[in-house]
Amino acid sequence: MTTILVVEDDPNQCLLYANEIRSAGYDVITAHDGREALEVVEKARPDLVVMDVSMPGIDGIEAMSRMLAKDHKLPIILNTAYATYRESFRSWSADAYVVKSSDLTELKDTIKRVLESRSRPAAPAGA
Amino acid sequence: MSEFRRDRVSGRWVIIAPERAARPTDFPVERRYSVGGFCPFCEGHEDKTPPEVAAMRSDPQQANRPGWRVRVVPNRFPALRPDAPIEIVGDAACRGMTGFGIHEVIIESQRHILSLNEMDDAGVTDVLRIYQQRLASVRQDSRFLYGMIFKNVGSAAGATVEHSHSQMIGMPVVPETVRTEVRHARQFNEAAGACLFCNMIDREVAKGERVIHVGRHCIAIAPYASRFPFETWLLPTRHVPHFEDHPAEALGDIASALRTVLNRLDQALETPAYNYLIHTSPLGEKSADYFHWHIEIIPCITKIAGFEWGTGCYINPVLPESAAAFLREASKLGRSASGGRVAASS
Repeated sequence: MTTILVVEDDPNQCLLYANEIRSAGYDVITAHDGREALEVVEKARPDLVVMDVSMPGIDGIEAMSRMLAKDHKLPIILNTAYATYRESFRSWSADAYVVKSSDLTELKDTIKRVLESRSRPAAPAGA
Repeated sequence: MSEFRRDRVSGRWVIIAPERAARPTDFPVERRYSVGGFCPFCEGHEDKTPPEVAAMRSDPQQANRPGWRVRVVPNRFPALRPDAPIEIVGDAACRGMTGFGIHEVIIESQRHILSLNEMDDAGVTDVLRIYQQRLASVRQDSRFLYGMIFKNVGSAAGATVEHSHSQMIGMPVVPETVRTEVRHARQFNEAAGACLFCNMIDREVAKGERVIHVGRHCIAIAPYASRFPFETWLLPTRHVPHFEDHPAEALGDIASALRTVLNRLDQALETPAYNYLIHTSPLGEKSADYFHWHIEIIPCITKIAGFEWGTGCYINPVLPESAAAFLREASKLGRSASGGRVAASS
């Protein structure tokens, strides 16, 4: 089964995302900050990471940068309440950028799309 | 003693207050530094950017693949969109228009370098050539009235990724700063029968005290009314209003001068964060022929604060003549680009 790592510092949101993504048919593991996420990626080798950005310590963009430095093929979706992080060119490293919403349809659709695109030959990012 | 100086190009006042610092480099400089990690702009990571709109590469058939020297891609999350309609919005009191425009990123090297001067002259010339190509491309579309090329280096200068890059924003309006400069250039031309900038070049070369570098096709000066410590202008000696029209045979010398200035700023200020901007004529405006394109280079040393926001005036704690002398000496004192600060000249 496809394993998704959800990185989210808010425990209630983390639970919500985990349940919703699990109900979409994925196996879900969680981490609550950037440092823990780096450790989990090393150990569990998830197929995709859903990464919050604003987190204490190592933020999501920095954690993504460190993950991709080790495995640049790891699919990562930035999932944040703030659209402003898109102004950082470092956010381009992500496969997709989703602004948080109470409706998780967009996030689940994006996970599906990114996983499907990774099973095809790589094309330049345009999202 | 401090003094007021007025910049003839912008019309803005500057207060030069040199007694605030003992030596020209006695400031906490915002430096650029490497944080490492994955870089979406490096060669081999082309899949992290939107498809390129231009590139310099050995094999043109290999778009969006490794093998490039300079690469231009649309901003993945642009401030303006070329597919937006141009429509007036708002009412008479709050007039605006839809966000039509173009926002491109120029990735200047396949290597993970932090500043343009880490390349050789040929590499910098490639970058200038692709700037010209992109401006020329925008100029062909009459909906665009201005194209601004600018560069942010270091987080203090607004850069969000350390890999050396520039940006171009093409707009359906002429920014007020540019409009004002063009108006002053036209007024000077009508009164004196000469180009404001050509006149400035002649005077600065004759006087010499604010000259930093003299090339075959350009000079670098600390402008008389510098807003910021070590602000440097690179002025082509030939009068050309539009950057994209500048003859190709001069670009190598201009690239070399740009590298020289950036190297000296690195030597004098220990790899500062900086911005540079190309001031060029508005696209397709006949009155803009009085203008004379140039590059303004601004190291991040002082901050814009309440006085500057409130008045549009700037307080510069370094006498431009001292900054120019220091930068002239920087090459003689010689330190590596990543090395320590040079000793202050006596």
